[in-house]
Amino acid sequence: MTYAKPIADTVLDVRDLHTQFFTETGVVKAVNGVSFTLGRGERMAIVGESGSGKSAMAMSLISLLAHPGKLVSGEVWLDGQDLAAMSEKELNGIRGSRVGTIFQDPMSSLDPVMKVSDQMVPPIERHLKLGAKAARDLAIGWLDKVGIPDAARRIDAYPFEMSGGMRQRVMIAMALSCNPRLVIADEPTTALDVTIQAQIVELLRRLTAETGTAMLFITHDLGLVSRFAQKVAVMYAGRIVEIGPTATVFRRPKHPYTQSLLRTIPRAGETEKRERLLQIPGFPPDMKVPPQGCAFRERCPGAHDLCAVETPQQTVRGPDHNAACFLPNGLDDVAEPAAEAPAERPVPVTTDWRALPRQDVLEINNLSKHFVGETLLPWVKPPTVRAVNGVSLRVRRGETLGIVGESGCGKSTIARMLLGLDEPTGGEIFIQGTGQMVFQDPYSSFNPKMKVFDIIAEPLVVQRVGTKDERARRVRALIEQVGLEQSYLDRFPNQLSGGQRQRVAVARALALNPSVVVADEPTSALDVSVRAQIINLLCDLKADLGVSFVFISHDLSTVRYVSDWIAVMYLGEVVEYGPAEEVFADPAHPYTRALLDAVPVLDPEAEAEREIRVISGELPSPLNLPKGCAFASRCPKVTDLCRQEKPVLVQRRERRTEACHHAG
Amino acid sequence: MLAYSLKKLVQLFITTLGVVTLVFFTLRLIPGDAASAMAGDSLSGEALERLREQMGLTKPYLVQYLTYLKGLASLDFGETITTGLSVFGLMKSALPITLIIAISTIVFTVLVSIPLGTLAAFMAHKGHKGLDNAITGTAMVLDLMPGFWTGLVFLLFFSLKLRWFPASGDVNIADPASFLQRIALPVLVLSVTQIATMARITRTAVLEVLGEDYIRTARSLGWSELRVLFRHALKNAALPIVTVVGLSFGSLLNGTVIVEFIFNIPGIGSLLVNGINSRDYQMVQNLIIFYALIFVSINFITDLVYRKLDPRVKF
Repeated sequence: MTYAKPIADTVLDVRDLHTQFFTETGVVKAVNGVSFTLGRGERMAIVGESGSGKSAMAMSLISLLAHPGKLVSGEVWLDGQDLAAMSEKELNGIRGSRVGTIFQDPMSSLDPVMKVSDQMVPPIERHLKLGAKAARDLAIGWLDKVGIPDAARRIDAYPFEMSGGMRQRVMIAMALSCNPRLVIADEPTTALDVTIQAQIVELLRRLTAETGTAMLFITHDLGLVSRFAQKVAVMYAGRIVEIGPTATVFRRPKHPYTQSLLRTIPRAGETEKRERLLQIPGFPPDMKVPPQGCAFRERCPGAHDLCAVETPQQTVRGPDHNAACFLPNGLDDVAEPAAEAPAERPVPVTTDWRALPRQDVLEINNLSKHFVGETLLPWVKPPTVRAVNGVSLRVRRGETLGIVGESGCGKSTIARMLLGLDEPTGGEIFIQGTGQMVFQDPYSSFNPKMKVFDIIAEPLVVQRVGTKDERARRVRALIEQVGLEQSYLDRFPNQLSGGQRQRVAVARALALNPSVVVADEPTSALDVSVRAQIINLLCDLKADLGVSFVFISHDLSTVRYVSDWIAVMYLGEVVEYGPAEEVFADPAHPYTRALLDAVPVLDPEAEAEREIRVISGELPSPLNLPKGCAFASRCPKVTDLCRQEKPVLVQRRERRTEACHHAG
Repeated sequence: MLAYSLKKLVQLFITTLGVVTLVFFTLRLIPGDAASAMAGDSLSGEALERLREQMGLTKPYLVQYLTYLKGLASLDFGETITTGLSVFGLMKSALPITLIIAISTIVFTVLVSIPLGTLAAFMAHKGHKGLDNAITGTAMVLDLMPGFWTGLVFLLFFSLKLRWFPASGDVNIADPASFLQRIALPVLVLSVTQIATMARITRTAVLEVLGEDYIRTARSLGWSELRVLFRHALKNAALPIVTVVGLSFGSLLNGTVIVEFIFNIPGIGSLLVNGINSRDYQMVQNLIIFYALIFVSINFITDLVYRKLDPRVKF
């Protein structure tokens, strides 16, 4: 190990950290010797797939691991004190005061039965030794600083009275309120919409710059890293495999894992998008039995004999840039980039769908869905949520329609109505053939007691298709079509990885030869490397079978990659519609523009130059929609006309429509 | 709030009317009546028939039912059929005894079971299985023992063998020292089962809450384990616990009937048992309705407490 000499400016100096989970089935070696330093005001991102040990490492820093996790060895120097050697009581003086923590899910990270003031004020009183009044004033000041409107009143609200974005602001205010030297943020924006994410990231960047607080930022979103972090550490199997300045690591990655990760992501700006995404083969190792040698060996196209014997240590690759690989330049040293090979398509099972007329397989006319609430008193008008408000869309055979928008815009309600799970309040849906669904969470959408064979066969059984033998043949054909071996048919869902489960979900959706498959956030629960596999699979199926997709996601770069057409939704209405590439390249509606601005790009230098116009505010309540344009409250181009008159979808250019008074 | 209370009051009225009706007619389905029970072997034939007529038992059931409802509406509980004493007067002297026993049991149960259950949950959360298993195991065994059996065992052991508590004798509220000594054992018997149930429920509820994200948040703010446990975990776990405390009041009322009988205590439970034995419709009817009212009111109070504890529940 090479330790950077602690310089005067160093806030955090972590040395050879080891963390293990002593489970009943064995010891999981989650963190295996992590060392790094963090300077004053420095923002460092920790990236890696789930299971790479990034969260365990961060929680180890302040010994906040839940049983059976344990910090086994290592040193955590914060301002000359070793946190790893401290007693629980001493640590309680550090947690919340010199180290602030922001967690991933704002919906569950605040105590639901306590007012914000009761959660926020007492720690300030304790750590800063302030009186009740002074502490409360300070808390209100912080809430104001993180952008909570009317903070003096809102401080006495309960968490459930706030939106996810607001709760995350409260978390940030709590973490920063005692002037910490270090803030640990564990996926602080993953659960939020892109627009809110952009606001939060901007806020964190501004506040840490103002206070000089160092920040450790855990994420799996590489775009966010390039926007936010000066330094990045890539973790794999409990080790840092590459660490360095973000710009250097993103431009000239040296470790094969970093190089592969960066290539799996669909780049927003690329025009030759029909090229298949690179996917990293295989899975991360089981950390109960850590492999000998390099942990990435089995997935690495550049692996050679030495990798199986010896674990590569970090070596210097440039100023402040270290990587742990025997190859000086990683995959760049491998003559023929063999990594591209697995991305090649499996033998296509095509049907002659292209001979069929290119007609609409899905037609939605003026669709609406209103949820009417209940009242106890008959004379009170029940509250009505207008989730979908007059949406008309078409999908042609073999094409993909992407629907994007913030949560609450009605995109999932449309999906549910397409499949008949919800009854529309008004409007019509015509589907040529049948529609099927792929859900977001591959973990909860299967019956855990059913084998994969029965899961895929279920729609066939329910619809009484064919004989038992015919069904078995069909199931075997389907599982191969989604790129899994037939041996998987005998497994149970819990024996599959997230990506494999999502493949099974796709196979099940295809069982009845649907003409349309509705995929509601099919890749959001997956790691980047697996995400690429599923996206490739969906694209192949579209090309081979002529299946049409309705792809619903908040991940704009993925939507851009898979879609032929895009519908941007805001508060239950389509505000912009057109060919995907045109809409993304030249958005007409201010909301589409704002969404695109909110998405970070992978290039740190471009990010630095980019002028980010973060739209302020949040989605208004669909309970009482404004009279004029629904987006008026957040729009930078708003005029009186917008507040008076509701814009309708107008076609101004060929194939493009948008609902805005000021477009074009 | 107003709408909610109105709705609840209407529900309460309907429930009570249902109980009144059900009790009235089921009692009359049971073979034998008050007259024959009162007369015993001494009267027969015509004399018994005359007695029935006197007691109003020969009128059609519907007429009896309506007369009874009319009485209830004017808060007239009538007299016992067999002894002619005022039902209201009997209940007035018996009620405080039963209430003190029931409330002491609940207070004692809550004081013992909640810390015990919380401790077990905390140990389980930290991976110290020993103490958790001991508490949970003991609770399970105690929970399985029927109340009348523990009652008899305690009576044998504490009263007859150790002579700590009197097994019989006067029950007089005016003399607190002897009164407390007299009800201590019944309260203990009733508490054993209650504590076992409640401790297990507390453990489950607290253990679940300890795994929540906001508990980790509280720790990340530098709060000690103790404060996290009691300020955050227990407060959130209180919701299911309160529900169970409310529900267990029902089984507790059940228990008082048995315990009062075993320990010979002149509470509501004894009145009920005596009333049933003598087929005293008037007595039993009123007592059952009274029990129903207590039960419904406790549910109502539980509901209010629940809403008070959880700001997310709206009226």
